[in-house]
Amino acid sequence: MKWIGVCVVPLLLVVFGSNGSAQSGTGGIRGAVTSPDGPVSAAPIRAKHQSTGRVFSTTSANSGQFALTDLPAGIYEVSVPQIGLATAPFVQNVNVEAGQTTSLNIALTKGNQGVLGDDNAYLVIRNKYSNVRGAAPRLADGRPDLSGVWNANVDPNPEPAALLPWANDVWRNRLSTSFRDHPMALCLPGDPTPTPPVFYKFVQTRGILVLLFEHEPHYRQIFLDGRVHPQQADPTWMGHSVGKWDGDTLVVDTTGFNDKSWLIFTVGLPHTEMLHMVERYRRPDLGHLLVDLRLEDPGAFTKPVERHMTWELAPGEEILESICTENNKFPEYAGVK
Amino acid sequence: MRGAFLTFTFMAAAIAWHGSPAAAHHSFAAEFDITKPVTLTGKVTKIEWTNPHAFLFIDVPDTQTGAVTNWEIEMGSPNGLTRLGWTRTLLRAGDEVTVEGSLGRNKANLANARSVVMTATGKKLGAASSEGAQ
Repeated sequence: MKWIGVCVVPLLLVVFGSNGSAQSGTGGIRGAVTSPDGPVSAAPIRAKHQSTGRVFSTTSANSGQFALTDLPAGIYEVSVPQIGLATAPFVQNVNVEAGQTTSLNIALTKGNQGVLGDDNAYLVIRNKYSNVRGAAPRLADGRPDLSGVWNANVDPNPEPAALLPWANDVWRNRLSTSFRDHPMALCLPGDPTPTPPVFYKFVQTRGILVLLFEHEPHYRQIFLDGRVHPQQADPTWMGHSVGKWDGDTLVVDTTGFNDKSWLIFTVGLPHTEMLHMVERYRRPDLGHLLVDLRLEDPGAFTKPVERHMTWELAPGEEILESICTENNKFPEYAGVK
Repeated sequence: MRGAFLTFTFMAAAIAWHGSPAAAHHSFAAEFDITKPVTLTGKVTKIEWTNPHAFLFIDVPDTQTGAVTNWEIEMGSPNGLTRLGWTRTLLRAGDEVTVEGSLGRNKANLANARSVVMTATGKKLGAASSEGAQ
């Protein structure tokens, strides 16, 4: 578990004049996100208009500063849904007036209740590489090269999934039992989606993209050589993935899943073997990877489930060995078996 | 559960959250009770530097009776700890530490660690890499 505590201190809440937007009835929120380690870069900031429900979001700069502009006047709930964190409201009743900018500084605390070693390394590492600059590299064939070690991230504005009744019942049960039966807790592959905010190493050649990571099954193969999905293959935890280029975007199509995995980090959705996963990867510059995820399963969802993440390059990090079955005491200590 | 070395604080408004596994793997809330924080001070007897979690074992004396209880403290993965600046030899048997965490649900004398402070130096372990980060 990696997450930052939910305690937030709105240090300053003052309104000062802005310019130019009074006529349109919009204002803004401006401030900085900090943690005990200093400014927090690339933090997602989410402002929800209380009466219309519209959500506006941005991310903080390297200095931790952020600005939400062109917000319709009204009362907002502002949150920073940092890694793995419930999107509990941090600051409520932030008043945005037309033609004004409201100042809001957000101090994230480390008051986590997680486990030492699982928590704030993410932010530390992200800040370490926040100055990575440059153009996205390309392979000899001109295609974008997605290779590198990526520090994944969560969707700052996740939409709740729309589940069929049976799936909703299963999911509710998983929540009520604190994810006790998550396959990952038994050292099985838990989630085929690229939503756990961990390190992923992309190794790309013309014909294949290999993803390496530190949880089961530790790798994914995405075939780029033009092959199609096999007919009547045995369903597997991670499915069968093929990728095609749509301009500079790699579109990865995966089918052939078994129904054992729990989809999406911290959500744990059930699904059927009809699951169809489409990922779109685009590297707009050296340091960022835009990841759009779409999950379709007519056997479990009433509409597709989507997630949109921005990952950051972590060039000095490496994927390390992690053998889960070495000393897994969880089943005993959680009373699973 | 008595004495200055063994104190429980019940949080009135703990915001319970558990993520599904990340660098580590498990479902925290199924194993530990976030509403039962525990602070333990004792001497290290053993470290298991293993996946998916490293474990620290400490002898905690009861201030009233002097009876010593060996507590098992679950930490993150070796990889996660390494990225925080830990090494497998950072703590050695005999070092006194203070651990803050939450109490295990299903096993006596089990807790997790969200922080470990070395008594001799006052150093909060795991802060090594974050201190240099900006």
